[in-house]
Amino acid sequence: MQPQTDSAQRAAPGSQGRSRRVRRSALLWALIALAFYLSFILMTLVRGWK
Amino acid sequence: MPTPLAHAAPHDDHDHKPHGWRRWVYATNHKDIGTMYLVFSCIMFFIGGGAAMLIRLELFKPGLQFFDPQFFNSLTTMHALIMIFGAIMPAWTGLANWMIPMQTGAPDMALPRLNNFSFWILPFAFTLLLSSFFVPGGAPAGGWTMYPPLVLQTGASFPMLIFSIHLMGASSILGAINVIVTIMNMRAPGMTLLRMPLFVWTWLITAYLLIAVMPVLAGAVTMLLTDHFFGTTFFTAAGGGDPVMFQHIFWFFGHPEVYILILPAFGIISEVIPTFSRKPLFGYEAMVYAVASIAFLSFIVWAHHMFTVGMPLAAQLFFMLSTMLIAVPTGVKVFNWTATMWKGSLSFEPPMLFALAFLFLFTIGGFSGLMLAMVPADYQYQDTYFVVAHFHYVLVPGSIFGIMAGVYYWLPKWTGYMYDVKLATWHFWLSAIFVNVLFFPQHFLGLAGMPRRIPDYAVQFTDWNMVSSIGGFAFGLSQLLFPYVIWRCVRGGQRIGNKAWEGAHGLEWELPSPPPFHSWTTPPSDAVIARGAAH
Repeated sequence: MQPQTDSAQRAAPGSQGRSRRVRRSALLWALIALAFYLSFILMTLVRGWK
Repeated sequence: MPTPLAHAAPHDDHDHKPHGWRRWVYATNHKDIGTMYLVFSCIMFFIGGGAAMLIRLELFKPGLQFFDPQFFNSLTTMHALIMIFGAIMPAWTGLANWMIPMQTGAPDMALPRLNNFSFWILPFAFTLLLSSFFVPGGAPAGGWTMYPPLVLQTGASFPMLIFSIHLMGASSILGAINVIVTIMNMRAPGMTLLRMPLFVWTWLITAYLLIAVMPVLAGAVTMLLTDHFFGTTFFTAAGGGDPVMFQHIFWFFGHPEVYILILPAFGIISEVIPTFSRKPLFGYEAMVYAVASIAFLSFIVWAHHMFTVGMPLAAQLFFMLSTMLIAVPTGVKVFNWTATMWKGSLSFEPPMLFALAFLFLFTIGGFSGLMLAMVPADYQYQDTYFVVAHFHYVLVPGSIFGIMAGVYYWLPKWTGYMYDVKLATWHFWLSAIFVNVLFFPQHFLGLAGMPRRIPDYAVQFTDWNMVSSIGGFAFGLSQLLFPYVIWRCVRGGQRIGNKAWEGAHGLEWELPSPPPFHSWTTPPSDAVIARGAAH
């Protein structure tokens, strides 16, 4: 493994796969959070319409 | 033309540590961001503590002494918001930033710029919230639970409250994403999930809780905002809305939030007790499963906070029994910590003292929680000082003693110096004695019927209120020792080696003290990981 000199320079060729996994999983969890946010508002709306 | 790697190579001999204000404002290093979180948390702890002392000052005697009731209600509301979102949660994130990369063999957090962003949101959020004291109508006074329709009567500070809650929530969600992504992607090869230290495990589970419930709080306050400004009636009965619905949504967030505040403390206690017992943690896997069970159960108990709103008998029974069920995994943890100490070679340095106080006093808070879980009893205790005593036993000698145990445990690692143990021991004894003087009498007051969130009370409650206030002033003043001990340690002292504590295990103790700017630039070997994971 390459020595790390800076957080921004960490994406050495060998770690590109990991960078992709990091980005994808961060995006996935952000979308899950967004889904919780919207679904609770939607749930309250639907309940109000009944 | 040099490749990026060729460019990097000649610079390997130094750490590119930025200097001056840029080091902090543009920080992407996990230790720097962790330090900023901890300093921020400490400042908020003293601001929130100042509000608490003003509350106890007003309650020293019956009658209105110093403040009008509106301002008193602002103090209780702001005290809670500051302590929960400003002191305890950022302290855990600070400790996570410092320790998770070091304990998992990672060079840094996975998303360093996001890390910077999630920290720097907080000072803006709390500047906004605290400045609400100076707007017409004063700071929010409807309680940290923000129940409508009361909260909709808040003056000019209402949008400031809502926006600051959104900011705090965004900060927590971004921090949680970073923790999950770091733990799942950045662990050193060989650091399997069941080799991870308990602090990392508890934080991983806490991060899942944060992702699930902080957006729910954001959704609830967004609906409050539209009810207030845009004519919607989500929670306004006159327009067909349902104020009780807000309580359900709020507590769907609020109960897991309690575990967000306490689970990382379980992790720290699980690190400290084995170190000072010189024994491996008893039942490591059972501890992991217990934390996961507690987190799962935290999602299905929320309505125990609102038994008195009226709900079907079946719902009351469900929420009562599911709440009582939490005692099982919590009991597993308490017994495992006790079993870890059994026949151990115990010593009582400050982290261990705080961990032992945690064990006894958090258990008291747990037992009063069980009393509150019983529906018929809860009808009596609801909105009394018994509830105040209960959750303060969970949060002060629970969460805050957990933070203090963690700071006293890892401070020598962070600074490279041993702190003044005698002064830290004084800090412990003053805290442990006066936290009980402060909160134990509140059980008696609550059982005798004193309601919470009031600036005045009937004269028969005077004596225990005086005792509680004296405890509050003494506890508050004794906390000044904490930053003083830390400050002196940062400035210097007796140098320590890699291991500050003879019985300590874990990857962080394999690094020099203080650790280098980038933690594990080369992943630790399997042998080092196995030596650290001695559970």
